[in-house]
Amino acid sequence: MIRTRLTHHAPTEIADACALLAEHGEDAAVVGGGTMLVPQMVRGERTVHHAVDLRRLGLHRIEVRDGEVAVGAMATYSDVAASAELAEHAALLRIAAAGITGGAQIRNQGTIGGSACYANPASDVPAVLVALRARMQVHGPDGTREVAAEAFFVDAFASALGRGELRAAVVIPAQTGRAGYEKIKLSESSWPIATAAAVVGDGAEPAVTLGGVARTPLRLDVGALVDGDGTLGDADALEALVRERLTEPWEDELAPGSYRRDIAGAVARRSLIKAKEERA
Amino acid sequence: MTLPETEGPAVGARVRRKDGDLVLTGRGAYLDDVELPGMLHAAILRSTEAHARIVGIDTSRALARPGVRLVMTAADVADRIGPIPHFFDSANVGGQTTDFRVLATDKVVYEGQPVAAIVAETLHDAEAALEDVVVEYEPLPAILDADEALREDAPRVFEDWSDNVVVRLPFAEGDAAAVLAEAEHVIDGEIRIQRYNTAPMETRGYVASWGADGRLTFYASTQNPHPLRSHIAKMLSIPEHRVRVIATRLGGGFGHKFPGFPEEGLLCVLSQAAGAPVKWLETRAESMLVGAREYVHRFAVAHDGEGRILAIRDRIVANVGTLGSIGGWGMAFVAAMAFPGPYRVKHYDIESLPVVTNKPPWNGARGYGKESAALAIERMVDLIAQRLGLDPATVRSRNFIPPDEFPYWTAAKRLDSGNYEGALSQLLEMAGYEERREEQAKARGEGRLIGVGVGFELTPEGGDFPGSLVRGFDTSTVRMDPTGKVTVLTGVTSPGTGNETGIAQCVADELGLPMDDVTVLQGDTDVSPYGYGNFSSRGMAVGGGSAILAAREVRERLAAAAAVLLEADAADLVFARARVHVAGDPERGMSIAEVADTVFNRSIAIPAIDQPQLEATRTYAPENILHVPDDQGRISPYPTFPYSAHLAVVEIDRDTGVVKILAYAGVHDCGTIVNPTFVEGQFLGSIAMGIGGALWEELPYTPEGRLGVRTFKQYLMPRAPDLPDIAVGSQVTPSPFTLLGTKGAGESGTSGAVASIANAVNDALLPLGVAVDDMPLSAPKLLRAIREGVSA
Repeated sequence: MIRTRLTHHAPTEIADACALLAEHGEDAAVVGGGTMLVPQMVRGERTVHHAVDLRRLGLHRIEVRDGEVAVGAMATYSDVAASAELAEHAALLRIAAAGITGGAQIRNQGTIGGSACYANPASDVPAVLVALRARMQVHGPDGTREVAAEAFFVDAFASALGRGELRAAVVIPAQTGRAGYEKIKLSESSWPIATAAAVVGDGAEPAVTLGGVARTPLRLDVGALVDGDGTLGDADALEALVRERLTEPWEDELAPGSYRRDIAGAVARRSLIKAKEERA
Repeated sequence: MTLPETEGPAVGARVRRKDGDLVLTGRGAYLDDVELPGMLHAAILRSTEAHARIVGIDTSRALARPGVRLVMTAADVADRIGPIPHFFDSANVGGQTTDFRVLATDKVVYEGQPVAAIVAETLHDAEAALEDVVVEYEPLPAILDADEALREDAPRVFEDWSDNVVVRLPFAEGDAAAVLAEAEHVIDGEIRIQRYNTAPMETRGYVASWGADGRLTFYASTQNPHPLRSHIAKMLSIPEHRVRVIATRLGGGFGHKFPGFPEEGLLCVLSQAAGAPVKWLETRAESMLVGAREYVHRFAVAHDGEGRILAIRDRIVANVGTLGSIGGWGMAFVAAMAFPGPYRVKHYDIESLPVVTNKPPWNGARGYGKESAALAIERMVDLIAQRLGLDPATVRSRNFIPPDEFPYWTAAKRLDSGNYEGALSQLLEMAGYEERREEQAKARGEGRLIGVGVGFELTPEGGDFPGSLVRGFDTSTVRMDPTGKVTVLTGVTSPGTGNETGIAQCVADELGLPMDDVTVLQGDTDVSPYGYGNFSSRGMAVGGGSAILAAREVRERLAAAAAVLLEADAADLVFARARVHVAGDPERGMSIAEVADTVFNRSIAIPAIDQPQLEATRTYAPENILHVPDDQGRISPYPTFPYSAHLAVVEIDRDTGVVKILAYAGVHDCGTIVNPTFVEGQFLGSIAMGIGGALWEELPYTPEGRLGVRTFKQYLMPRAPDLPDIAVGSQVTPSPFTLLGTKGAGESGTSGAVASIANAVNDALLPLGVAVDDMPLSAPKLLRAIREGVSA
């Protein structure tokens, strides 16, 4: 059970939400879908006295702005999976959202934004946002700023958000190239052990972004390894690149770092194959 | 809901579960739904150390917190409650034993051992106060590995023990040493099985409530309400009739809810001291402290050139954690007793050593050691097949006990009946074994790692252990009311599997009544006769058996009255469709309701109807429980022996080691089937449990003795997408020793699944020349074997 006398705030203005977060600092938590936060509080692993709930801020929308898609902080995995805009502009996010473990209960409740802010290395969202070159729209006491996804994930379970800041939306540039997503988990319940999001072809900078294998997403430029069509030439070279870059693999209760390092190359390769198949 | 009217007998029909609608629609009440006026909530402070002396406990800050009514330590409860009675006392079999208390006194011997308890107005307040209880520990060396615990210089878990071995449990026939010494073919091997448990959907929980009259009502998510009542009365030194235990609807048992836990007695004391009802519900993390199944088998098996097993030696070391008052350590007995499974092996020498360490104690876990034995035996059979280049199914056929040799004696079992070859043949046919092997050969040619694995399990059921609260008999009352409806009160309980419906089917048939006319009540010690509850798949054999006997007695009373009213011979009366009539003359009859009404309302007034009573209580035990040693010193504490044959087809992802189950089939024989739907449901669930244990589920410990998992995101249970469609077949070989010919049907599946998956995974690895016998068969382990070519 939640062990503290908790004040639940549901502000209707972002500025008010930021003011609450600034006021209470470490003693406040942002509630998005709550699928991570609430169980942690129930287990006594996280203790705060103020919950700042985003539900009344109007951040549920997924909308196209100037050719980019803005996904509101409260958009759930189900919203993302059902979004026609994302199907067109950022299929990768949609594929990842559809594969989230936990069934309809989690997909209808958990949010892309919440997962990004939680920044669990062993999860889908951070690496997918890096692969998409997404930008985080951050509101804070000093106004609004944008942070590139790569800069947002500063460490395991840590984001670039400062005191009083909340992440209102993620902005995803229109996707060029084809995307492929590969995820390895030990079983259906398992957190992702290794994910790879490939973007190749059609003028995109060919890249594979690995998730689950390091403290933060690992974006690999594979321009030298694939042809203009996105076809991987030398799988061994990809394996070597992954091993070279993956110096400190992530480790948790489910799998040691050495295992993640051992499978990351194959996962990267499979994502490239899937990206190539997307056209067909 | 109206249950479908069955044409003909209810026994054998797919009758719907009596309370299925309540469960499916979320209206079934469980322990956590018990709400009493003024009820308080408890939280338990548990040891953070695996082994330590308690230097001091300061509860003052916790007591001062809002909502907190009570904080108790061992010193506070010492005058109120005695040692916890053992579920199975190892002293009964000549082993070392010790006393266990509801709260740790001067020492803790495992992480998670209850040290103090807090009672507060809300669960929030109780749990929040935990951090304000300050315990000072002086750490002692913790021993976690059973092999290390066996070393002569190992620290003792219990200071007054001569070593860390609970007891030595030998099971032997013939002269295995001599055969092994001379045999041409001998295979040595080692199998390690991880610690994992059963993770029922509903965890344990209790509500204790003392009445103004000094009588205790104890609501419990328990499998064994009467034994629990006996334990509570003994611990509290109060007469047993002043305790009422109500076992609430269970969301799964699997052995996790066998009594003997410290929280049971503790809740009684907390409620007494607080002067109010107190509830405690085990958290998921707490439920993961309960261990089971951590074994090492070190074996040698001798065989001839045709694959016939000549002799087996196995030294089993079971890491049972601290012994504990719960009964899990007994699984180490069954893990050895279950040898040599379904095979005719004349020379074997099995010894099991339950060894104590500073991990939390085991409780029962479906399979109860049989899954450990089955894995070892079935791996031996596959290793023989591999060595000789024979088909593993063929080797099994060459070793099975033939159908005409039953009853068949081993050192501690008299096997009731069986047609093992029949079950295996049906399985191979059903699963398309030949084609599976052809597909496998083709896939291997393409470099894929496909494995086909057979597993066979023999599952001793219905065990009886005198001197413990695990007995092989049970008692039921059948009570007919004046409207001709029936209430059955039985000492067996249901973990949520439907045995109440099965018992109703039996009673309905005996009395010629529709299912809706029979209600079955279980779990309330004020209502049901003293009985032993739920374990070892005993519900139908003894709950059904005793209810049938009682129903027959009630029918005799009805027949006596109806004979008077119909002017017929009682022996000529037929009970069917809620009526009693003279055989061959359906018109000459009356409704059972009319007979019942007459018995209650007109007895004595009608000459010759002079017993105004339609109630009978009978006890039943299967005939095959044999405690008096025969001329060769053999006993058989288990009466029934269901079995099943399993086939798994798996593929290992060469790049990641991840196993995917491509196909699964099982053929089950549990004798006469009362309700095929329930039997299949149990079998499927049990297979899923075995698959989970073979591939994923694990309770790992840090070197300091702390459990490394707390949630289902770390302890991985199988989910629907992990499992293929499981094909189920059935064979019926009735037991000659039970009333209906039933055998136990609740555990079958787990053992065969563990074995078939292990064999399938190793079959997939075969072309690489490696094997993995270190369970679970996790992706990291398999990838290491694949990449490095090293067996594990």
